Amino acid sequence: MDLRICVPLGALLEGSLAAIAAVGLPVEPLRDAGRRLIVEVPGGPTYITTRPTDVPTYVESGAADIGIVGRDVLLEREPDVYELADLGFGGCTMSWCTPAGDDPTALAIERFGVVRVATKYVRCAERFFEGTGRKAEIVKVNGSVELAPLVGLADGIVDLVATGRTLRENGLVEREVLFESTARLIANRVSHKLRADVLDGLVRAFEAGGA
Amino acid sequence: MTDPVELPAGVRDVLPVEAAELRALGDALDGAFRAFGYREVMTPLIELADVLDRAEDEGVGRAYRLFDDEGRVLVLRPDLTIPIARLVATRMADHPDPVRVSYNARAARPPSPGKIEGAEQRQAGIELVGPDGPEADAEVIAALSYALAAAGVPDARIAIGSVAIVSAVLDGAGADGPVRASLWGALRGRSVVDWRRAAEEIGAEGDLGEVLTGLPAMRGGRELLDRIGTAVPPARSECERLDAVLDCVARHGVAPPMVDMGVVRDWSYYSGVVIEAYAMGAMAPVAVGGRYDGLGARFGRPRAAVGVAVALDLLHHAVGRSAERPAAGIVLVGGADDLVADAVALRRAGTAVLAVASLHPDPDAVAVADGRGYVVRRVADGWSVRDVATGSDEILSDLGAGPWT
Repeated sequence: MDLRICVPLGALLEGSLAAIAAVGLPVEPLRDAGRRLIVEVPGGPTYITTRPTDVPTYVESGAADIGIVGRDVLLEREPDVYELADLGFGGCTMSWCTPAGDDPTALAIERFGVVRVATKYVRCAERFFEGTGRKAEIVKVNGSVELAPLVGLADGIVDLVATGRTLRENGLVEREVLFESTARLIANRVSHKLRADVLDGLVRAFEAGGA
Repeated sequence: MTDPVELPAGVRDVLPVEAAELRALGDALDGAFRAFGYREVMTPLIELADVLDRAEDEGVGRAYRLFDDEGRVLVLRPDLTIPIARLVATRMADHPDPVRVSYNARAARPPSPGKIEGAEQRQAGIELVGPDGPEADAEVIAALSYALAAAGVPDARIAIGSVAIVSAVLDGAGADGPVRASLWGALRGRSVVDWRRAAEEIGAEGDLGEVLTGLPAMRGGRELLDRIGTAVPPARSECERLDAVLDCVARHGVAPPMVDMGVVRDWSYYSGVVIEAYAMGAMAPVAVGGRYDGLGARFGRPRAAVGVAVALDLLHHAVGRSAERPAAGIVLVGGADDLVADAVALRRAGTAVLAVASLHPDPDAVAVADGRGYVVRRVADGWSVRDVATGSDEILSDLGAGPWT
């Protein structure tokens, strides 16, 4: 079939494999891939596995025809791709979270005119605070975001919340929801047209299997 | 050690091999456009910001801006259609309909972080100003098709949609206010998911509901137009118009374009048919365009218009490398000093001559670097000709019949 599918490693991997299996494509070779990053299935698709945030990059550039990626990554990266289907799994929220107790947000705005936000999702955070008429100072961090408010780096964090366990363990409370996120099927702009038949069939199958 | 020499973000130099290939592509496209009667025009690199402001287009947001010494804001043109619309509406205001102009020029837009797209885009395109009928839309589509074939992409696929059909479907479904805005936002953001969510909020039922919800994912042949026109009566006339475009495209002898209601353009000046072309190997559409009937009025001369632009850099990725063959011409040792007269005679006879000095230390290296196949020296009994690829030498008495011609 000669189709290149970009699959995210990490939290969305299991759901992606299940969704791909549900549309009748072989996923066993992908499960047995070990450390290989590219898995070619004879007579079937080629799978490319990457970090979730890189999926839109591969699809946008045409290195992959389609990909599976969280809505959070789409809203942060704003890639020029088609978003074809909501696959339904990987549900979580992008949330503004601050330490338990009184919410420091309003006080910070009142006293300092600005709220300090630590996040991996700089654009989402900027848009959210701008959209709600508050001035935010965004601190970009790359991991263990929960640490930032605990040591005074920021008033709170904007991050994905799935079960809320990490938040609770670090004494943080979800205060406001920016948006809800699930896994999405995306396609390269050119592949979407040149492989219209294959893709339209796949989208229908994904919608039937994922709903 | 010298400091690193930098370029602004997103721009790059073009070296001889690429420049030659881009030039050949541009010439091929231009040849096809000229066959339809389009004549090239050139607009300035910089425009007053007022020109773009008149277009009132949100796509203008990203542009390089600078000031002249009177403090007026200038922009580097971020697009060619707006400047050409200005030129046609002002300088060619008296030109009878139809006006056919072409261009091959660069537009500049500041790069977005994380995007591959460069800050400079080479665009070769046409604008057909005056006629507002489906025949004009079809001519532009046909010219694009012939141009892409001439450039070496015979299997390019063209898709057409219609901003007017989408608009009429939204009218028919009674979508207005914020819902209409979020539907357009979803369509421009190419999110079928967001479109569907917003469309479901309207709660249209039956065929109308199905067409509305499924619109951006609807693609195929002309049967789609019939389906939309039947389900949404206010959209019928626009569907019939696009159907007429397809008829006329067929009369031009080009493959039928795919009808795709998900095709939209980032610029909001488009008002009717919208066009995209795709080719394997190019990560984004190699050509985009459409009808923009409202733009001329902004510059004081209302006239219907339709056009399309080919993105040369993207097209370049879609064409195969031209066959590996040394360029015609020779490196003449001594042509720069002792044998200038011979170099002149050869050039007059039509041979490209790269002259180097008699004592040049390595003429073969020059030939290899510049992609020429032969190094020629004066010898007692005529000319020694070295084939750089094989290293073999041959003595010729007359350069008029060399192997490089």
